[in-house]
Amino acid sequence: MSTTVTETHETSTHYGSHVLKPERSNLGLMRPDHGKSVLIDWLTTVDHKKIGIMYGVIALFFLLVGGVEALVIRTQLAFPENDLISAQRYNQLFTMHGTTMIFLAIMPLNAAFFNFLVPLQIGARDVAFPRINSFSLWAFVAGALVINFGWFLQLLEVMGLFTASGPTAGMNDLVPSMGWFGYAPITGIEFTGAGTDFWIMGLQILGIASLSAAMNFVVTIINMRAVGMKMMRLPVFTWMTLIVSLLIVFAFPAITIALAELMFDRVFGTNFFVTAGGGQPILWQHLFWIFGHPEVYILVLPAMGIVSEVLPAFSKKPLFGYAIVVFSGAVIGFLGFAVWSHHMFTTGLGKVATAAFSLLTMAIAVPTGVKIFNWVGTLWGGRVRFSAPMIFALGFVWMFMMGGFSGIMHSSAPADAQQQDSYFVIAHFHYVAIGGIFLAVVSGIYFWLPKICGKMWKGNLSLWVAIFSTVGLNVTFFPMHFLGLLGMPRRTHTYLEGFGWETYNLVCTIGAYILAFGIFLLVVDIIRCLRSGEPAGDDPWDARTLEWTTTSPPQVYNFARNPIIPARDALWEHKHGPENRKITYEPDDGHGIHMPSQSWMPMIASLGFVPLGLGLSMMQAGVAYMGYVAIFGLLMISLGVALWALEGPGGYHLHPEEEN
Amino acid sequence: MSQADYNPLPVSPAVDHSGENEKYHVFVNLALVLAAITGVELVLVYLPFNKAFIFTVLVSLSMFKFVAVIAWFMHLIYDKLMLTLAFGTGLVIAAGTYTALLFLFSTDYVAPHEIPGIIPPGM
Amino acid sequence: MSDTATAHHEDGHKSLIIDNKKLLMWLFLGSDCMFFGTLISTHLIYRKINPTEIDPTVNLFSLELTSFSTFILLMSSFLMALAVSAMHKGQIKSFRRNVIGVIFFGLIFLGCQVYEFTEFVHLGLKLDTGTFGSTFYLMTGTHGVHVAIGIFWLICMYFYSYTGKMDAHESAVDVEVAGLYWHFVDIVWIIIFTVVYLIEFIGK
Repeated sequence: MSTTVTETHETSTHYGSHVLKPERSNLGLMRPDHGKSVLIDWLTTVDHKKIGIMYGVIALFFLLVGGVEALVIRTQLAFPENDLISAQRYNQLFTMHGTTMIFLAIMPLNAAFFNFLVPLQIGARDVAFPRINSFSLWAFVAGALVINFGWFLQLLEVMGLFTASGPTAGMNDLVPSMGWFGYAPITGIEFTGAGTDFWIMGLQILGIASLSAAMNFVVTIINMRAVGMKMMRLPVFTWMTLIVSLLIVFAFPAITIALAELMFDRVFGTNFFVTAGGGQPILWQHLFWIFGHPEVYILVLPAMGIVSEVLPAFSKKPLFGYAIVVFSGAVIGFLGFAVWSHHMFTTGLGKVATAAFSLLTMAIAVPTGVKIFNWVGTLWGGRVRFSAPMIFALGFVWMFMMGGFSGIMHSSAPADAQQQDSYFVIAHFHYVAIGGIFLAVVSGIYFWLPKICGKMWKGNLSLWVAIFSTVGLNVTFFPMHFLGLLGMPRRTHTYLEGFGWETYNLVCTIGAYILAFGIFLLVVDIIRCLRSGEPAGDDPWDARTLEWTTTSPPQVYNFARNPIIPARDALWEHKHGPENRKITYEPDDGHGIHMPSQSWMPMIASLGFVPLGLGLSMMQAGVAYMGYVAIFGLLMISLGVALWALEGPGGYHLHPEEEN
Repeated sequence: MSQADYNPLPVSPAVDHSGENEKYHVFVNLALVLAAITGVELVLVYLPFNKAFIFTVLVSLSMFKFVAVIAWFMHLIYDKLMLTLAFGTGLVIAAGTYTALLFLFSTDYVAPHEIPGIIPPGM
Repeated sequence: MSDTATAHHEDGHKSLIIDNKKLLMWLFLGSDCMFFGTLISTHLIYRKINPTEIDPTVNLFSLELTSFSTFILLMSSFLMALAVSAMHKGQIKSFRRNVIGVIFFGLIFLGCQVYEFTEFVHLGLKLDTGTFGSTFYLMTGTHGVHVAIGIFWLICMYFYSYTGKMDAHESAVDVEVAGLYWHFVDIVWIIIFTVVYLIEFIGK
């Protein structure tokens, strides 16, 4: 069987799922398969590609929300003693900016890539647990709703439709305002109001979403690989997905418990972080960073995976030192668990602990440096094409490296003591987050959107996106190094004249608007591509990995017949390698392709988190009957899960090639 | 898996069941040992031995019970190495992290005793 | 994956060597190690920082009761192992007998815990009694919730076994996964029994 890659495509346009009739589940209910309604199809989908697209769209929306929040912050700081917004609003904005960008923009953008790409890259038809995948998506949506509910109430309050009086007298301080890390004791009940509860419950729900998605991906990558797709033949992006998923699985429980303890402190009067009852606020910092530092790598490793795919494709060379890149990723992930206290050098850990965490943090520079050398090595001697994805990937390597350098400066405890809580730290992690993660994600969007939507980019707008966003981020964040060294503290609502901060702050604000214009151009470019792009074809970039063997966009079953993978960089070897390294396909066994049934139950179960989260939050604020709302949410979750278990997985068969 | 087009096989012939009977004896023996250890632990804490010795023995016995249940009842030793890796990674990370955390919370470093000018409680 | 029907339904992924559900459960348990690790270490840290806050060995902990409930949980684990074994052999009657035993023992354990909690509250240890009350109740309560979920799961399986929809391979894996969960709840208690209860009594 040496079917060529393109042969399966013409045959698969009329697979005729609409010929099939909906079946009844084991419960006797009609399954939402094969319906005519597009809305129901998307709401109940278990297709990893649709779930990935939904993650991506929602994440891009929250990226813009977080961006607007950042612009307001920068505008407030443009001039000394500015009073554009109140200090309280300023606190709300930086808290929600951080929380939104990390949990509602970058993590789901990464999840979008995981969902869309991983099954395609490993030659699978879907993830291991399609309905858990759907559950993860809707739980993420539920968490996003709960965490942003404060903004909604705030809006109602501004419009005069909601006041904190009568039954809702306890509902004040509606938006979280204690920083994205929620340090105790400021999260205590005597210092902050309902916003903190929304934040606690929202993060808890997002944690459940991330955990279930991550376990699903580990099982998918380990178990669902096509024949011949050995672990050391996996694309690097899939490897990074595996490592990130393991980090999520092992890091999130710490924050789950920390949040539960905080919730008990606020709702049921326990003393975990309450000093009056003997609690230690420092424990929150430890638990938060035991989760928080792996979280940093959860954010950045997928970006490294994207770049490790883009650089070889546009250099016409295999990734330099594949094994060492994978190994470095694993080492970064593992060491990520052993460095949490470097966020707490100024809390007085003791000499031994400070020295140990300082050394371990420096050690992380080694695998990171190895990766950067490998990316440069990939470029070396290659035939480099400066297409849009490549421009952003190169930008990543350079900008991420600059963020890394200031990171190494933090690893030295005495230096960190000077930089702690100053704008130097802001400069550092924004170089990593925007210069690193954001540029890599944009690179990924330019690289894979033709595969996702089947249309090719038009014109050279991407170049302007690159120019504006790179110039913008450098103009915004480079002066912050100086601001930090001049002593400007983080999270400061405004500042006085005469410290030498005025010019730098104005430059930062101008830079922020340049960056925002770059992101605006990106949105324009995406819309132009979706509206009027030419058909992309299966492999528009002459790429290397398995996802480019499918149609653009891929069929619902991904592969008409399961591929057999003879080598790493499977498609490249297929196109340019020797005869014995061509991709072959398993013979058609006549059974057809087994497709999982769609289901309402994951969505019902996960949306039960909304009444549960909001109910518990408002119960703390003393709103009547909210305990019952929480119980209703709990019942909704239990009912969803029970029906999900009892309805049976179902499934139907498609026969793409017999239609021919 | 849809149940409709599924032929319920009584017992799949390729699965070897002689192992299950041997396991039965292992399970019974293990249950007896676990019960006995719990009894020993209960008595041990009241015995007038050196505290450090009792502590060490208790921790070792607990570790043994922990590992034994995982190895035999959860039959990890009969199963694929991948499962041991999946669970072991979590166990090692958790044990390492929280051992380190316990040492970080040395009572000397806790704030009230260190802040100058503030009299520690109980003095 | 020896039976062909199942292999076909798994879309012919020949690299499938471990059952998906089993791997998922072991990952979850690895994650749960971190989960209970946080809870137990919170308790131990506060015992270390606030050693004089309370002496649980005086008028509070009853080692006899806790040893009894530990013993009960260990025996339920033993029956669970037998139930999984029976299911692998296709002996559904033996499976039912053992699972009923597990459920029964699990309920006894929960009963002991409810009794213990009521006793402690009467003796003045409440959720907001210093840090000891907070950490103790949250930790043992979370464990109790795990036990309750396990009992609910097994009851569902017990009744499901009468629907005739159980088949040799898939259901054996389902039972095994439930069993893994149950054993994990047991080993968490083994740790809690030693580091939370027994160690307090050394030298008392």
